[in-house]
Amino acid sequence: MSGALIDLWGWSHALAQFSLWLGSLPLEAGNWVALQTGAAAPGPLTGLIGFITGEGLTNFVAVIVAINILLLWATLLHLLIVMWIERKMYSRLQDRRGIMLGLGSSDFLRRILGPIPLIGRPFRRPSHLGTGFLQTVADGVKLFQKEVITPTNADKWMFHVAPVMIASSTLFLFVAIPWSDGFWLMGSMDKGVPVNPWGILVILGAFSIAPLGILIAGWASNNKYTLLGGMRAAAQLMSYEIPLVLSIIALVVLSGSLDPFELVRQQSVPLTYALGPFGRVTVPFLPNWYIFNPVLWIAFVVLFITVIAEAERIPFDIPEAEAELVEGWTTEYSGMRFGLVFGFKWLRAIAGAALIAILFLGGWSGPVFATVWAPNLAAPGTLYGIPLLPQEFWFTLKIYVIFVVFVWIGWSVPRIRIDQILNLGWKQLIPLSIFNILLATLARGFGWF
Amino acid sequence: MTVDFALVAFVVLSAIEVGAAAMTVSAKKLVHNVFWLAITLITIAGIYILFLAEFIAWIQIIVYAGAVPVLFLFGIMLTRRKIMEEPHESE
Repeated sequence: MSGALIDLWGWSHALAQFSLWLGSLPLEAGNWVALQTGAAAPGPLTGLIGFITGEGLTNFVAVIVAINILLLWATLLHLLIVMWIERKMYSRLQDRRGIMLGLGSSDFLRRILGPIPLIGRPFRRPSHLGTGFLQTVADGVKLFQKEVITPTNADKWMFHVAPVMIASSTLFLFVAIPWSDGFWLMGSMDKGVPVNPWGILVILGAFSIAPLGILIAGWASNNKYTLLGGMRAAAQLMSYEIPLVLSIIALVVLSGSLDPFELVRQQSVPLTYALGPFGRVTVPFLPNWYIFNPVLWIAFVVLFITVIAEAERIPFDIPEAEAELVEGWTTEYSGMRFGLVFGFKWLRAIAGAALIAILFLGGWSGPVFATVWAPNLAAPGTLYGIPLLPQEFWFTLKIYVIFVVFVWIGWSVPRIRIDQILNLGWKQLIPLSIFNILLATLARGFGWF
Repeated sequence: MTVDFALVAFVVLSAIEVGAAAMTVSAKKLVHNVFWLAITLITIAGIYILFLAEFIAWIQIIVYAGAVPVLFLFGIMLTRRKIMEEPHESE
């Protein structure tokens, strides 16, 4: 436990063991009753109890619990927070207050808790000072209640498959993104440290499935706006995947690894430049982030622009340009299907921000400052370290800062045209990233940086 | 009783793959063929993972499954679609 708060696999194993033990209690009771009424010695249900609390089922349940913890962490917590940040922040950029429905402005709570002397104080605030956090929850509930409408002329089967493909490929991104040394789903322990040799490749693969679902959604709705939006989305996403991969190749050439854990370990040491024949120079007080590398900052710029395009955020949001195509390729969807295809764009933005943070901004590395030691409930007699500023905090902070920059860029610049997008992608970003690979190869060959 | 989960996964993935391959050549609309082709390619990646060839599996997804949208685009552009036509059946 070096700085990580959450030990995902340990926790989910403990949770699986506990819940299976709870589930086997009625069987134990039945066994006891059978023994009292004169059954044979081990009891008739012993075999079933052994199967339920056995290692095979425990591991299976632990996998399901771990997946669910990670996905709820990503969707229920970070998706809501990120949507709230975006809506609140673009409102402030437009000099208005934005969404305000919060716990503090709820009529119900004001009536119940408001009169209470001390506790009621935040609930007596005027409603225009609400935080607005509950608005995203309210929108989600609204989408759940709406009817799912299938257009008459749609290709019904593919119309319903497309949101599944989009949602699953977006959630697949989070399988490979680790949140700290202990909070990861995909990987294994090797010599005491987690490794996942192809982690970055998995993230890229999940990014590359998304255009297929978007195209299917646009085509199957049988509507000219959705078809146009889907075509634009496919053209944009496919052409921006190339600089995305090429800029990561430059980083891989210099760092020599596709493993997110290894990349973060390389970046959590003090900033060091290898200057070929002149030896090594260490810069004090700065971490060895790849954004500070004289070669790789080009890759950072390219990656940042491509991630904005991959998440279909505003300078690149022509696939759903609401002034021209009603809502782009999501036009015909309603109810929670619309919620899935629309809300998961933010999830892709979170994943892109996490990718940027892991590759260039040191991932979850950061000063822990102090560790609080508490008795370990799972193993009595030992202590469990709770870091004051755990790695998850630093990683989340970096993701949110990058996302705020996304919002800042998105609501400050106008949407660009399709030909400008393709020109930027094919004529500027791809040559730039190839040039960057050349520089990185030279630097690697001559032992610089 | 021990269950060989790898064998179960292999059989399931193979069944999906063979079925999707059959649909690829037999589906009526070109765009459906492309979708089934994508399913075929992704299940092949799953079988590569079962063979412990993870790198090839991810490259399979990036290169092959990632290139399917191009086919999809050609399927849309080069075939006739009913889109923007009125429903002309006699009601």
